[in-house]
This record gives sequence, structure tokens and C-alpha cells, in this order.
Amino acid sequence: MSSLIELGPLQLAVATLLVVAAGVISLVLRLGIGRRLAVAAVRTVIQLGLLGLILERVFSLRNPVVIVGILVLMTIFAAREAASRTTRGYRGIMLDAWLAMAVSCFAVGGVVTQVVVGVEPWYEPQYVIPLIGMILGNSLTGIALGLDRFLDHLSTRHAEIELRLVFGASRREALAAPLRDAVRTGMVPIINAMAAAGIVSLPGMMTGQILAGAPPLQAVAYQIVVMFMIAAAVAGGAMMVVLLAGRHFMGPDAVLRLDRLRTAK
Amino acid sequence: MPPFLSAGPFSARDGEGRSLFTDVSIEINEGELVVLDGPSGSGKSTLVRQLVGMVPSSNVSRELDGEVYSGLQLPRWRSRVTLVAQDAPMLAGTVGENIRFPFGQRCAGGCAPEESRLAAVMDAVGLIGIPEERDVGTLSGGERHRLALVRGLIWNPPVLIADEPLSGLDEDTAVSCFELLLDFAHCTGHAVLCVVHDRALGAKAGRRINLVGIHGESPP
Repeated sequence: MSSLIELGPLQLAVATLLVVAAGVISLVLRLGIGRRLAVAAVRTVIQLGLLGLILERVFSLRNPVVIVGILVLMTIFAAREAASRTTRGYRGIMLDAWLAMAVSCFAVGGVVTQVVVGVEPWYEPQYVIPLIGMILGNSLTGIALGLDRFLDHLSTRHAEIELRLVFGASRREALAAPLRDAVRTGMVPIINAMAAAGIVSLPGMMTGQILAGAPPLQAVAYQIVVMFMIAAAVAGGAMMVVLLAGRHFMGPDAVLRLDRLRTAK
Repeated sequence: MPPFLSAGPFSARDGEGRSLFTDVSIEINEGELVVLDGPSGSGKSTLVRQLVGMVPSSNVSRELDGEVYSGLQLPRWRSRVTLVAQDAPMLAGTVGENIRFPFGQRCAGGCAPEESRLAAVMDAVGLIGIPEERDVGTLSGGERHRLALVRGLIWNPPVLIADEPLSGLDEDTAVSCFELLLDFAHCTGHAVLCVVHDRALGAKAGRRINLVGIHGESPP
């Protein structure tokens, strides 16, 4: 197996020419996105550079408390992002998104790092941080999509929910249809990704491992684990966030409280 | 004898905070069809929605046939004091699913619709030719209203609350639908509260409640 070819400043400078070429195309065709492209390119360098510096520090840490703290912080940022992606909102959406995110990620991430991969020591940051990070990034999408769909369902199809209620539906019965609708929507991206994996797209993590010199079958094994853990985290996270959100809009008396739904954000 | 159904007091304000009605209590006797009338915007729909417990309410007592229903028992209350809502809402699906879904819910306790009665009621409202597999999205407004009424009648609750069930129906159909509601109300263990604008039909009711500028029930 070839070892990793290191990239230095010269290589990066050459790569910069590529993004400049994209900028030239934008200028010639008057796409009007040259400025945004430049800003995005600079942000890429700064953000990833900072991440690299942070990861170098974090990976050298040997303190489980700090690593768990970093993971919790990551879930908070992910929850904020998920809650901000929905077109409708309600009081407490952040907390619900965070709870769903944290529980699903730590449950699935725990199983993967401790049982499947068997990381030693249990908090080894080189494994724990990227794996949990990948779960977070994907369950963020699932939770945001599911939550958005759920709130949309409440808003646009409330007549159907109330129709079930007037015939004596319990809270569970009345919210079953929007819940199914929301979790199904949240799971679409990961199902599509699993179905297309290896044929339409080469998953990023697998590509990275292969570039880093890992044997392809090992990279594939990791990718399969990652796909499955994302599927579990998305299903669990989307279901949980919708159950939590449902409690805001319907108490045990099964009165639909659409007045708690905020539309404009 | 205490009334079959008693509930209240209900109060409501309109969007601008003006009082629509204050401390209205509703009492309905067994075997009675009560008509609720009033101009649009007087709060009739709000009142019936409060009665069946579809909006948050506090300090409201609900009693049916000697049994008191607390807030946590609202689902059971609604299954027994059932609203046929304005504009005839439907579940996305077929005619059959829309008639039968209440019987699949837990509160039905395993009951099934009475097929002979279903056929008779569908016939009486002029829907007998419509197959159960038909998508409700293809029904006309009048057909939807009649289907909503059929669904309420077949569910067979002790008290049926119908909010403008006759809108969009021609005169003959409206009369036969109202007759069905009257027959339903006159059965033992039943009563009906109906929001109707038609004065001639309203005159057939046992009692009228008028919701114009009053704070309470008007005498029969």
C-alpha cells in the first residue's frame, strides 16, 4: 500500500489556480457569482484551516471529559442549525432538536465506537470525533427535514388532524399520520445515498480513506458501518424530534394548539 | 329531570378582542333537535368548537347523561358529542375510508358501522350510487357535505353537533338531510345541535338558540 503523499504550500497554491479558473469562467459568462465564489473560497481555507488546527490539538488530548464536552458542544451547534432550517417554528424547538440530536447520536455513536469498532481507549478522539461528527451532520439533515415536514403538515393539513379528533382520536392516533409523513421525509436522503453508494457516487469518507492509503475493502467496511449508523441515527432522531414537537402542539386533552406555531422566521 | 347534555360556560372574543359571547352555557334534552342561529361572524362555529372541546378552554364543565367529563377525557367526550364540522373536511383517501376511519380508532371499542343503516342513509341523502373506492377529491362540494353528514350519523354518537351541514345543497336535498337529523334526534338516547340558516327548516326544530347580541340562551 502506498503511504500518504503530503500536500505542502506549493501544492495548495496550484490547487488555488483551479478555483481561480472557476472565477474566470464566472467573469467571462457574467454569472455574477464571482464575489460569492471568492468569499466561499476564502471561507473554505479559513474554516478548514481552523478545524485542522483544532483537530490537531483535540487528537492529542487524553482527557475524556474534554472530549465529551466537545461532542456535546457539537450537538448544540448541530441542533441550532437544524432548528434554523425549518420554515416554521415554535417555542422550545431548539431544545427539542438538541435532545433528539444528542440522544440519537450518542446512542448510535456509542454502539458504533464501543461495540462495532471497539475504540481503545473508549474516548480515542481520532475515531470518536469524526464518527460522531458524521452522524451529527447527517441526522441534522434528517431532523431538520422531518421537523419541517411535521410543522408543515400541522399547518396545511390541520383539518384532517381535527377530523380524527372530533371522532374521538387520542393524541397518538391524531398525530400518527403527520409523524409517519415526517419520519419518511427525513429518511429519504440517507435511503437515496445508500441505494446510490458505490454506483452513482463514491462516498466521501471511503474516498478519503483510500487516498490515505487504507486497503479498499477496509474503507468499504467502514463506509458500510457509517451508512448504517447514519440510517439508524436519522430514523431515531427524526422520530424523537417529531414526538417531542407533537407534545408542544397537543397535550393529553388532545386539543390541537396551532396558535403555538410560528410561521414567519 | 336534568338535561341530557349540559356544558359551559363558554366565552369568546373575535380577532380584534371584541366579545362575541360571554358565559354561554348549553343544555340539550334527550330527543331534542336544537337549532343554533345567528349572522355570520357571531361566533356559532367558535361556540360549537368549544362545546366539543376543539379549542383550549378553562373552567368549563361538560356533562352527558349524568356523566362528567374532565379535560383528560376530552377524546371520549368528542366520540360521544361528535362534531360534523363546517366545510365538510375529509381525509385524503377514498369515500369508504372516510366513512369508516372512526371505527378504526381506539374509542370505537371494536364497533363496526351498521351496513344496512349505512346503505339506507346513503340512499336517503342521494349518495347511494357513489362507490366506496371513489377518491373523495373527486366529489362535488354538495356531495362532500352529504358524505360528512352520513359519516356523523353512521358513527351514531349520543349527541351530534352539525355546523352548517346543509350548505351547498339544493332545497329538496337539504330538506331530506334535515329530516334525517330530526329522525336521529328523536331516537332514544340521542340529541342534535345544528347550525342552520334556513328559517323554514329551523322552524321544525324543537328549540332555537340565537347568537345575536345576547349573553346567554334565548327562550324557546
